[in-house]
Amino acid sequence: MDDKGDAKPAGSDPAAQWAGLWQGFAESSRQMAEAWSGSMGPFMLARLMEKPAGFSAGNEMSETIEKMAQGPRLADFWDIDRKLALVFGAWMEMRQKLASYNAVTSAPWAEASKRFFDAMSAAGGGNKELPHWREAFAKWSEISNEELIRNQRSDGFLQAQKELLQAGVKLRSRQDEVAEAASAMFGLPSRKDFDEVTRQLTELRREVRALGRRANGQGEAQP
Amino acid sequence: MSDESQTSRFLSEIAANTGKLVKATQLFGQTRDEDVTIGTTPKHLVMRRDKVELFRYEPLAAATATTPVLVAYGLIGRYTMADLQPDRSLVRSLLSKGLDLWLIDWGQPGRTERWLTIDDYVDDYIDAAVDRIRHDTGHDKVTLLGICEGGVFTTCYAALHPDKVKNLVITITPIDFHADTKDTAAHHGFLNIWTRSLDPEDIDRLVDTYGVLPGEFMSSVFSMMTPMRSLTKYNVDLIDVVDDEAKFMNFLRMEKWLADRPHHPGEAAKQWLKELYQENRLANGNFVLSGRTVDLKSVTAPVLNVFALDDHIIPPDCSRALGARIGSNDYTEIPLPGGHVGLFVSSKSQGKLSQSIADWLCARDGAAAGNS
Repeated sequence: MDDKGDAKPAGSDPAAQWAGLWQGFAESSRQMAEAWSGSMGPFMLARLMEKPAGFSAGNEMSETIEKMAQGPRLADFWDIDRKLALVFGAWMEMRQKLASYNAVTSAPWAEASKRFFDAMSAAGGGNKELPHWREAFAKWSEISNEELIRNQRSDGFLQAQKELLQAGVKLRSRQDEVAEAASAMFGLPSRKDFDEVTRQLTELRREVRALGRRANGQGEAQP
Repeated sequence: MSDESQTSRFLSEIAANTGKLVKATQLFGQTRDEDVTIGTTPKHLVMRRDKVELFRYEPLAAATATTPVLVAYGLIGRYTMADLQPDRSLVRSLLSKGLDLWLIDWGQPGRTERWLTIDDYVDDYIDAAVDRIRHDTGHDKVTLLGICEGGVFTTCYAALHPDKVKNLVITITPIDFHADTKDTAAHHGFLNIWTRSLDPEDIDRLVDTYGVLPGEFMSSVFSMMTPMRSLTKYNVDLIDVVDDEAKFMNFLRMEKWLADRPHHPGEAAKQWLKELYQENRLANGNFVLSGRTVDLKSVTAPVLNVFALDDHIIPPDCSRALGARIGSNDYTEIPLPGGHVGLFVSSKSQGKLSQSIADWLCARDGAAAGNS
């Protein structure tokens, strides 16, 4: 146990070391955020705004698969392979759209970090007491929320999200086609069959209820 | 403060918060799903039509308004938001003020309901429920209380069947789906912007592929609208509730409601997203249900329009738009502080919402006045 007033040798207090480490980390993060904003940030953001798919350019493999699988259909073989190839192509396309989307959604964090460290530097500069973690977190949350929402309303974000949605739906649709083929192979009713049955059921129900109302007069529904 | 004391404070806070997160983990382990109850106000089943059920709530006080009130929630989320827990329940609060309350529950639509349209919901399910209430109570007309998308359904019903509607109360209901452009708050109206950014074919493909508008999909869109809240609710926010069992249970009840997000029937979702969100047909006067144009001028019953001033999902101007479009001379707007869900579940807004509705109804339909 140390006596109060005793001079502590440098490096003997783990708490002080930790605090020093934390401050060093915070400073490094601030410098990185500044470096990002000052160099690559504007370039990448500009590219994303011009062409949100910029990060997924070079989609040659999925395009080749697409061309190959969309070729002439043969009557007796290769159909299931074609469907599987289309699933693979759609999966690759979705991965690329996801990468593009992730690039767009990660952009605002750099600006949020920069603003946050500026705000903290201003709050804790000089001999001022550092803010309580709750105040610091509330500030971080407020700034990040603003930046994320600002990004969400940008054309680049909306376009990237739309393309990701389109790619995701295409993948699911092609997976369904494989499932349909498998159902047919085993003589099972498919999802399309189910949709057709429910369509007929819904229409039939409407007709029966309309007849019921007519029979009751004045369009009265039968409880 | 010295570096040493700051470091000491920093470390003690880390230790305290770590302890709270450990406690939260233990609480999660000790709590069973069946312990978290929502929608518990007593009611009984009156009618079932396909998956749709009509309930009547048990009275909690002597009648103050004579006309029965039918509550209709939307197809996005479930009615339990209006009955989350006994001390945060619009339903219970209205019952305690002497209203005769009925509820239409859409159930859990799935692929089987793929082909149902808004026409079916308005002109079949709501109409059948209204007829059943009229039959059972002997009233010629009922009061409709619509919430969010349910407010759109009840407004359409009031326009198409004015002879059966005594009063129309709508809450957090969009009427002009493009009025978000007037709202300057950056966190308002993302749903409107997002929907307009899609091509109509994207919506068709999404619905045709899944057969529904998946509930999980809508949940992710809603989470995106409050980005930091979505990132912190299972960690930092837990620190605030873990020492208070009541708050912890409130948190779990809200989570249970959020998790219970049914799929939206497919064809009805296409109408909702394309004809209303994208084309704004209701406000423009060209929304057609069952072959009839929904003319808002045909809404002649007294109308109460309640909306939340900080509603990030339905910006206030989208709701306010009703006033200028209806035919009724008796129109009241009540803007209340709070957000879309907070209006119903926050402790602050509880009294205000139910009191506003009950006062407005009693003034027009009070039992003492002998109305029928």
